[in-house]
Amino acid sequence: MKNKIKVYRAMNDLTQEDLAKAIGVTRQTILAIEKGRYVPSLDLAFRIARHFKVNVEEIFLYGDTPSP
Amino acid sequence: MKKNTFYLVVGCIALVLLGILWYSVEVFRPPFIEVSFVLAIVLVYLARRKVDDLIEDERSVKITEQAMVRTFQVFWVIFAAFSIGAVMQILHVPTFPRPGPPDHPPEILPLRSLGYIQLGLLILMIFLYVGFRIYYARKYGEWETDEE
Repeated sequence: MKNKIKVYRAMNDLTQEDLAKAIGVTRQTILAIEKGRYVPSLDLAFRIARHFKVNVEEIFLYGDTPSP
Repeated sequence: MKKNTFYLVVGCIALVLLGILWYSVEVFRPPFIEVSFVLAIVLVYLARRKVDDLIEDERSVKITEQAMVRTFQVFWVIFAAFSIGAVMQILHVPTFPRPGPPDHPPEILPLRSLGYIQLGLLILMIFLYVGFRIYYARKYGEWETDEE
C-alpha cells in the first residue's frame, strides 16, 4: 500500500515528530508507514487522514490504484 | 514516572531477584524464588503502568505480538518433543512374563537432569523471543533512519 503522508506533511509544514505527537504514535511508526514498512490499521489510517482533514483514500492508495 | 526511572526500578528488581535466587539456592527452598519471580513480574507490570512518557503504539504492540506468537510456535514443538520423551517414562510397563527380578532398576529421568533440561528450554525461549523480536523490529522499520 502506497501513501502520501510525506507530501501532506510537507504541505502542512509538519515534521514526523509533530505528526506522531498529534496522533499519539512514535516517530518511528510514521517513518515506517511512509517508507511502506508498516501498513497502519484502519483506525490509525483514519486518524492520519482526519488530522490532514482529507479522506483516507487521498492519503492511502491501495494496490495499483492510480493517484488522483 | 519517567521512562529512565522505570528502567532503574526494573534493574533494582532484577538485582533483588538475583539475591533471592542466591539465597533460595543456599537454603534449598525453590518456592522462595518461584513466588518472588511472580511478584517481581507483577511489580514490573504495575511500575510500567505508572510510566507517562513511554509511547506504546500499534506498531510496537504488533512487533511484540508477532515475536511472542512465533516464539510459541517454535517453542511448543521442542517442548512437546521433550515432554513426549518424559511421558514415555510413565507409560513404560514391564513385559510379561517377568523373567524374575530385573538386573537394572528402571531408568528414571533424574531430577538434576530435568533441571538442566528446563534451564536449556528457558534459555532457548529467551533466545527465540529476542531473535524474533529483533527480526520483526527490523521488518517494521524500528531502526530505519530518515533525513529528518
